Amino acid sequence: MKTAIQSKWKKRLLPACAICVLLAAAVLLFTNRKLGDSLELADNATMGVLPGVDLAQRQAELQQQLDESMISFSINTSPVFETGGAEGNLMLENPASNAKLLVVEIYMDDTQELIYQSKALPAGSYIENTRLDKLLEPGSYEATAYFKAYREADHSYIGQVGADLTLSVLS
Amino acid sequence: MKHKRFLSFLTVVLAAALFSASAFAAGSYQDKDLPLGSSSEVLMVGEIEPTLMSVTIPSYVPFHISRSVEGENKVISPRVTILSHSGVPVNVDVAYTTVNLNGLKGTTWSDGQNVGENQIAIGFQPETLSNQLPTTLGQTKWLQANSPQYLNLTSLNPYGSSTLYVVGTLGAAVPEDSSFTVTPIFVVSKA
Repeated sequence: MKTAIQSKWKKRLLPACAICVLLAAAVLLFTNRKLGDSLELADNATMGVLPGVDLAQRQAELQQQLDESMISFSINTSPVFETGGAEGNLMLENPASNAKLLVVEIYMDDTQELIYQSKALPAGSYIENTRLDKLLEPGSYEATAYFKAYREADHSYIGQVGADLTLSVLS
Repeated sequence: MKHKRFLSFLTVVLAAALFSASAFAAGSYQDKDLPLGSSSEVLMVGEIEPTLMSVTIPSYVPFHISRSVEGENKVISPRVTILSHSGVPVNVDVAYTTVNLNGLKGTTWSDGQNVGENQIAIGFQPETLSNQLPTTLGQTKWLQANSPQYLNLTSLNPYGSSTLYVVGTLGAAVPEDSSFTVTPIFVVSKA
């Protein structure tokens, strides 16, 4: 009786053991194969060409930044004021093509004193005649007008350019 | 009866209109008949128009500098095109250049091409070959750092244009992983 049960268990146990051994061998084989043949992809890699390698591309990016910084303006190089407190024909213009705000400041060349500061001129506007912020005696003065550009969206500063002027106060 | 009245009214209106038109014409042109052999004065009014200067010019110029760039010039620069929209010739000068080298430890500025190991020099050069970065530094107008300088960069004819490039060089010991700023102020004037 005992031997019959034993042989029955042996019959069931042997195939089960064989299956287990086969499974273990398959897992081991698969794991070894994965470790040996695959490469892990870098998770911090950015797809594309490394910035700075392509000279033409770098130049194009710089050109785009430069184009944003371009300022167009007009000004009368010899404005005349009847008196020190009168309006003169400064003729300041911020053309519509600018797409930025302009603030104009005029400084005397010899003293660097600020004698005029405009409020922001929107693109496509001009100031034909205006008074200076400082009363000047009759005479001729060398000065520089600085056009300061600001972005329309957030009013952040872009840059400035200057223009030489000769102011005349007649009496 | 009504028809007659209307016709006479119309005649009066037409006559008045005709008279006022000739009066207006006489007032505008001040015509008068001159007898043969006589003379007359003609008033001519000349108005002096102000000299307007209109230009398009960059307010800052971005550039990169690298020892790996081939040739004497180590700067990668955009094309800096300055345009005049007015009928007067225009000079373009650099009045002042603000230089901040705080990001480059131990680096100093050079006013010319011959830089030391820890020096950097930047300037402008006119475009000689269309759309090509200059490779040499021979024609360069060098910027001076943080001091007044009236450096004439270019002159524009009426309605003319001029193209420049930023050029420069750097010494072998200048660190390459940092940035610095060079801010020239362009000033335009009637030539």
